[in-house]
Amino acid sequence: MSSWLANTISEAEQVQDWLSPKRAESLAQLKNTPWPNRKTEAWRYTPINVIERARFSAANDTVVQATAIENLDSIDLVFIDGVFDAQASTIDFPEGLCISQLSEGGSCDWALDSFKKTKPNKHFFGLINDALATSGVLIDVAADAKIEKPIRIVQSFNPGSQSHTRILVRIGAGAKACVVEQLQGDKLCFNTSFAEYDIGESATLEHYRLAMQCQAAISIGGSHFSLAESAQLTSNLIGFGSQLSRVDMDIIHAGENATSKLNVIYLLDGRELFDLHSSFEHTVPHGTSDQNIRCIVADHANAIFNGRIHIHRDAQKILASMNNRNLLMSDDAQVNTKPELEIYADDVRCAHGVTIAEIDEEAMFYLQSRGVSRPDAQVMLSFGFINELVDQMPNIAIADWLRPQLRQRFANMEIR
Amino acid sequence: MLKINDLHASVADNEIIKGLSLEIKAGEVHAIMGPNGAGKSTLSYALTGREGYEIASGSATLDGAELLDMEVEDRATAGLFLAFQYPVEIPGVSNMEFLKVSVDSQRKARNLESYTSSEFLKIAKAACKQVNLPLSFLKRGVNEGFSGGEKKRNEIMQMILLKPKLCILDESDSGLDIDALKIVADGINSQRDGERSFLVITHYQRLLDYIKPDFVHVLADGKIVKSGGPELALELEAEGYSWLESYDRNAEQEVNA
Repeated sequence: MSSWLANTISEAEQVQDWLSPKRAESLAQLKNTPWPNRKTEAWRYTPINVIERARFSAANDTVVQATAIENLDSIDLVFIDGVFDAQASTIDFPEGLCISQLSEGGSCDWALDSFKKTKPNKHFFGLINDALATSGVLIDVAADAKIEKPIRIVQSFNPGSQSHTRILVRIGAGAKACVVEQLQGDKLCFNTSFAEYDIGESATLEHYRLAMQCQAAISIGGSHFSLAESAQLTSNLIGFGSQLSRVDMDIIHAGENATSKLNVIYLLDGRELFDLHSSFEHTVPHGTSDQNIRCIVADHANAIFNGRIHIHRDAQKILASMNNRNLLMSDDAQVNTKPELEIYADDVRCAHGVTIAEIDEEAMFYLQSRGVSRPDAQVMLSFGFINELVDQMPNIAIADWLRPQLRQRFANMEIR
Repeated sequence: MLKINDLHASVADNEIIKGLSLEIKAGEVHAIMGPNGAGKSTLSYALTGREGYEIASGSATLDGAELLDMEVEDRATAGLFLAFQYPVEIPGVSNMEFLKVSVDSQRKARNLESYTSSEFLKIAKAACKQVNLPLSFLKRGVNEGFSGGEKKRNEIMQMILLKPKLCILDESDSGLDIDALKIVADGINSQRDGERSFLVITHYQRLLDYIKPDFVHVLADGKIVKSGGPELALELEAEGYSWLESYDRNAEQEVNA
């Protein structure tokens, strides 16, 4: 066993709280799970030995980071190195919304059941998060409540910090909410952040995971969703990539007639790596899922996408689609993409496509015929390739806030 | 303004334009009519420099400068404009950004300063109104989800903004109802200033009721087989293109004889 893991387990054994029974299960599983390496399928392209090598300690070098989203009127829950910052957070909530700290979860009747309910046990660092996450939030949206303001969970990280946070969200039947998970920081730190969403019957969730930690950061986490009958999910993931960035998205259609949509943008530079494993689990008939993953990869960066669609035996009349398009900006950039379709029902429509995109010559000619130079047109088309998904974001303030940042990041890639 | 001399152009090794000559003077409007497959679109793509359209021989000059040696974008900044028969949809690139970058490129080529964003917004809004498109179209992706008629009007808006010397209108009337046709024609007519020239490619006389040409040419099998005044268009409308077949036969017989 790796010494890092041994230390982590002994640290976890000290944790005593209302989640202890659940934590013990995960610890037991961890003890029987080998440390992932290149031969572990789920970690084939993503080396994790940097975690063992790096030294983490309590941070003392505080860096103030700008995390505000302009023109977004949101309910803010701010964490710095995994510690809740009450002063920077919103304290009063609209009717129908109940938010409490994970540490106070013992008093929430639903929380214990929701812990580990939608997050599958297969995720190695999910188990570590199970064992170690003592901070985080519980969000409960009452049935039929329409929460207009987005709930924004902001996590920023100081150099050298190590933290584990957990978010549990329950959205009551017929309710509507928007949750933004925002992670920022470019210095070496290690964090795991897992979120579980239980979306009730006919409820609607608009979700954003802004995985904008970059450069030296080590960030591993996931967002996991369970959809009851006629529930609707729109999820947007932005991945900047870093020394090690890994996100697992699991979307489980547990009720019929649910619809889910996942749009993902990667924008990777330098030696950054971003690894997304998505999994759509159709366990019941009648359901629609759609995922669009677009990557621009520059320099020596590495984009990994593993997209799984699993349609269970009796889950007939499913429409599932997956589309992954990649744009390589340099000869040394890498894309490792793997669609994984497991279809056990016979009356379904499942489409998937992967391309390493070339510039669309028809669009190129159109732009050039207006006087735009070929290099300028190339920039416009490449940025347009990801901006198309930004345009689809339902929240205009978030889209408007993201666009110049993506443009800037993209422009920096161009310079080399 | 535009002088085409004995142009031969091919697509995938098939010769489509087979020795075409045409001169358009400043301020003139010329219409090219002809049956399907005559080479009308090939002519417009050969002039604008689309990839895959090979020039075997001949020349085409715009105000004395040889177009056929230039890059696509340089032909555009030299003053050539093509209103596409099928304008391309580019999701993710906003129409406004596209228009601004296009106009800036043209101004740069003419040694003019770029417009500021607010200056350009005013100009773009006015052009948008002129072709009767809602202002929201400026924010949308280029032609994204536009109807056929809206795309054609977007082409005319670009023409108004780019102020070219010579405009090639490739079937700008196709797929338009009568109201949209009037808007497109009004947009084009508003740009006739006695200097700017037009090459109007069309199947039908209908568009020429609104845009009065000075000359009409019939293109068949890669060559101009007949030229005349506006009355030629009416003649074609009445008789169709079937007489061309007999024309071809006569021509062949002449050659064979």
